[in-house]
Amino acid sequence: MNSEILISVAVILPILAGLILLIAGKGYRKVVVLPTALILAVTSILLMEERGFSWTPDPVIQTVVMGLDLLLLLYFLYVGFHNENVPVIGLTLIQALLVGYFEFTGGGHHGEPIMMVDGLSSILLLVINFIGSLVCIYAIGYMDEHEEHLDLERSRQPRFFLFLLLLLGAMNGLVSSNDVFWLYFFWEITTLCCYELIRHDGTEIANNNALRALWMGLVGGVALLGAIYIGNYALNTLSLATLIESSPSPLLYLAFALMAIAAFTKSAQLPFQSWLLGAMVAPTPVSALLHSSTMVNAGVYLVLRFAPAIQGTLLTYGIALVGIFTFMFTAIVALSQRFSKAILAYSTIGNLGLIIFCASMNTSLSYSAALILLMFHAMSKGLLFLCAGIIENRLHSRNIEDWEGLLAKLPITTGVMIIGIVSMFLPMFGVLLGKWAAVGVASSAPVFPSIVMITMMVIGSSATTLFWAKWLGKLIILPIREHRIKMEKVSIWYSISTLTILGLDIVASLGASYMVQHVVSIAVAPHYELAWSPGLLKLSTQLGSFMIIPLWIAMAAILFAGFLIHRYKGGNIVPAYLAGENVEGDPIAFRSTADTVVDYRVSGMFFDPDITEGKWNPWGTLVGILLNLIVLGLVII
Amino acid sequence: MVSTLNPDMAISVAYIIVAPFLGGLIVGLDRKITARMQNRIGPPIIQPFYDLIKLWGKEPFLASSFQPILAMGYFGFIFTGLILLAFRQDLLHIIFTLTLADICLIVAAYNSKSPYSNLGGRRELLSMLSYEPLMVLTAISVQVVTGTFLVKGIFEYGTPLLLLMPAAYVAQQLVLIIDMKKSPYDVAGSGHAHQELVRGVYTEFSGYTLALIELGHWTKLVFILSLISLFWAQNLIIGWALALLLWFIAIVADNIYPRLTWKSMLRTSWVLGFMLILANFIALAIWRVI
Amino acid sequence: MKTMTKARLKSPWVLHYDCGSCNGCDIEVLAALMPKFDAERFGIVNIGDPKQADILVVTGPANKRNHRVLKNLYDQMPEPKVVLAVGTCAATGGIFHNCPNTLGGVDKVIPVDVYVPGCAARPEQIVDGIVLALKKLEEKSEKKEVAK
Repeated sequence: MNSEILISVAVILPILAGLILLIAGKGYRKVVVLPTALILAVTSILLMEERGFSWTPDPVIQTVVMGLDLLLLLYFLYVGFHNENVPVIGLTLIQALLVGYFEFTGGGHHGEPIMMVDGLSSILLLVINFIGSLVCIYAIGYMDEHEEHLDLERSRQPRFFLFLLLLLGAMNGLVSSNDVFWLYFFWEITTLCCYELIRHDGTEIANNNALRALWMGLVGGVALLGAIYIGNYALNTLSLATLIESSPSPLLYLAFALMAIAAFTKSAQLPFQSWLLGAMVAPTPVSALLHSSTMVNAGVYLVLRFAPAIQGTLLTYGIALVGIFTFMFTAIVALSQRFSKAILAYSTIGNLGLIIFCASMNTSLSYSAALILLMFHAMSKGLLFLCAGIIENRLHSRNIEDWEGLLAKLPITTGVMIIGIVSMFLPMFGVLLGKWAAVGVASSAPVFPSIVMITMMVIGSSATTLFWAKWLGKLIILPIREHRIKMEKVSIWYSISTLTILGLDIVASLGASYMVQHVVSIAVAPHYELAWSPGLLKLSTQLGSFMIIPLWIAMAAILFAGFLIHRYKGGNIVPAYLAGENVEGDPIAFRSTADTVVDYRVSGMFFDPDITEGKWNPWGTLVGILLNLIVLGLVII
Repeated sequence: MVSTLNPDMAISVAYIIVAPFLGGLIVGLDRKITARMQNRIGPPIIQPFYDLIKLWGKEPFLASSFQPILAMGYFGFIFTGLILLAFRQDLLHIIFTLTLADICLIVAAYNSKSPYSNLGGRRELLSMLSYEPLMVLTAISVQVVTGTFLVKGIFEYGTPLLLLMPAAYVAQQLVLIIDMKKSPYDVAGSGHAHQELVRGVYTEFSGYTLALIELGHWTKLVFILSLISLFWAQNLIIGWALALLLWFIAIVADNIYPRLTWKSMLRTSWVLGFMLILANFIALAIWRVI
Repeated sequence: MKTMTKARLKSPWVLHYDCGSCNGCDIEVLAALMPKFDAERFGIVNIGDPKQADILVVTGPANKRNHRVLKNLYDQMPEPKVVLAVGTCAATGGIFHNCPNTLGGVDKVIPVDVYVPGCAARPEQIVDGIVLALKKLEEKSEKKEVAK
């Protein structure tokens, strides 16, 4: 009884809160959002405690869901006609046909049970509700600054928060649904929220990008419906659990392949990556929510969900190939990007590709690696987006070339951002634990897929190190005229959200052993034996061991020793070497011909024209389409 | 098990303590051999120690307040990697720790206010990106052959790795050349008496911070030579002979080749190095299947 | 601390700066580092970075354009340091001493410790000069030790 209330709260509360805010207006944001955030976070913890329950709500609710779904389709149709967008109209019509036909012929029965919260769901719930809530808190501060620049007559914030919260509710519902139709319903609501949030600012480019996100999401919806049809036709069931636990057949594999395609659209894998990049135009909380904690995780959740059912098939390698190729491709293209959110977006797509790769390689180690990556990536990437948003608002620039010397201008935010970047590619944090495990997964696979995957993984991993280190260097460059670090005024919403996520990330990394043993294992255990023996100092698998706490100890020792040496030896800060032509008192200028004072300028390294989006994207998309077709084709084998 | 018996423990600890000094001696030997190749007498073999002590005693000039800690970080994390290696831990994890150390150096270079240092840092990043994938691929090869990433596994394996992964051994030559900052790939800041971007990544270091970097460099040299010696882990004397062979070839290469561009460095390591190790892989796979 | 002084004497790193010289002395300085004279056997390295150098080897006269650069480089060298003025021009202005743009010898701008005369100075003299400069370095080092 208790658990049913919890899950209902998790799904309904955000929706209600959003509607209340829409009606009440902007002034009630704090009153509505803060308690909602808190309740959601607590609920997710409680749900983890209570996991393993299932529930079938009243038939009335099922009818409501069906009705809402039809309304949704009607709205999409309206959007399509209003914008004269053929793909949207076409895809919505297909969906409407499929849903309608389904209802009137096979309808009336439902998956048994409809809602189910098991280990995997509870991990996703934690991620969604913690990070999602913190992003909403951040948005309270951010949207005010955002709207300052826009000079609106009436604030659009209530609408913004409605969809933000609706997204959280829908995601909660998505990961707890066992009935595939409900899954599809919540899936489409997330597509709706995605569309509405991306086009929030109402500019032409926002509208176009939103429409692209919409039709790609609808492709996913069609694929999902296809999977539902086939599953129902093969086994006469709408229960996800039944589909997964049943003995395999080519028809069932086709259903899973279609689900994989749906997952690819939602997680922006190749060839569907362009919608995520287009989503950059939306306000930052959208990017943070979409790219780290909610929407995109729906795709990987789906793969994680059905992966155990396709163990040992070629299909599983096909899906893994899409993931690892996306990882490699996006890592390379990210090298050429100058815009902060573009880099973060490419990195997200890449990491999701890595998670899908791990999930789909279908071994105990890889499944747990996928979950580790999911959790830590959500924290780190969310943090990075939030910080990037703050910096953009202050600097009015997204071009990282303008982000030089931020450490002196905005020390606190930059400091947090630096730790965020470090957490993405250095071995003291959980993301690298996941990556290390992923390398092990690739190398211990059967030889011939292994060679391809290792190659892609090493290329991708090196490229990611390069672009993170490049960016880190940019943030730390100090040749600016302001010598002394000024006090930065930080909004409380920003501090709460970013520092909490940072704290969570650090605590989770330090406690990685605990995380693996007690959190990750609950999702892995039903399907595989746990591959880890997590000790206090190191996490061991059959392939080796990874040590996080010793590195933190080493870091502490280094900081201590470095501090001591600095204290003992001292040292004044002196000007840089500029071939003797320094200008007195000015750190960036030098004397040039005729003794004129010139600023020196070192630009960043972006590898153009060798690596440009324009040159590489078509190839990536082409290969992506090919790989997706291969996935569908592997079903036959 | 093999790694935690007492005599081995004593050897590991001794190795950790001796390593930086051994590194200094090897660097000194390097300069002597280079001098002899150039028909000169060259400095005494313990010259690097004189350099180190002198640097420690210079008046401290700092480029930024983070520099001492980052320099200490460079040395400290390499030393950590060395400790992990001495205790036969996970190879891949050790390589990531090395990346951490290098990032400290690169960040310190970017953090200084000079354009030379900035460009040097960028070149150092590219250098790291040239040799690190080769090391990762070698580690992966080790895992494929011995079944584990643990260095312990190499010792327990029976057959010397050189016989199974010769191409990976050859690829280590590239790693060594780039790490020792020898021509043709000393793009980030060369050894003594060769200038690249003034002193490249080391431009703004002086006094005790440079001393820490030097110590780090020595430790890293011993570290990489130790890694190469694992190619014949069954008899470490032969292993070290193999390592010193590559080291010697690096010195010869330095005296023959001019400095090449960073693009050339990336291309060679990625195309040639990668291909070598992958070919090794495929050969291993086929041989095993047959 | 005798070790420190010994180390400083055994490892003098040189910054070579051409201050308006005709390059004659510069060629000789570089020759001193080459195999025939091999200054590296004394631990001398031509390091291009003032922050890492102990001995500033200057050739050529100081003039109105480069005195600022010379002073800047000298200031960027950490203690203990010595200056070696190589060639007549660096000592007194040499052949250029009455020119309107010349300030005279290098000692008009920075304190010089050792003068190596000659036009051009010979490599043997330069190496001799460096040895003298090392003696001066030893004195400075001892003084600093006592003072510290």
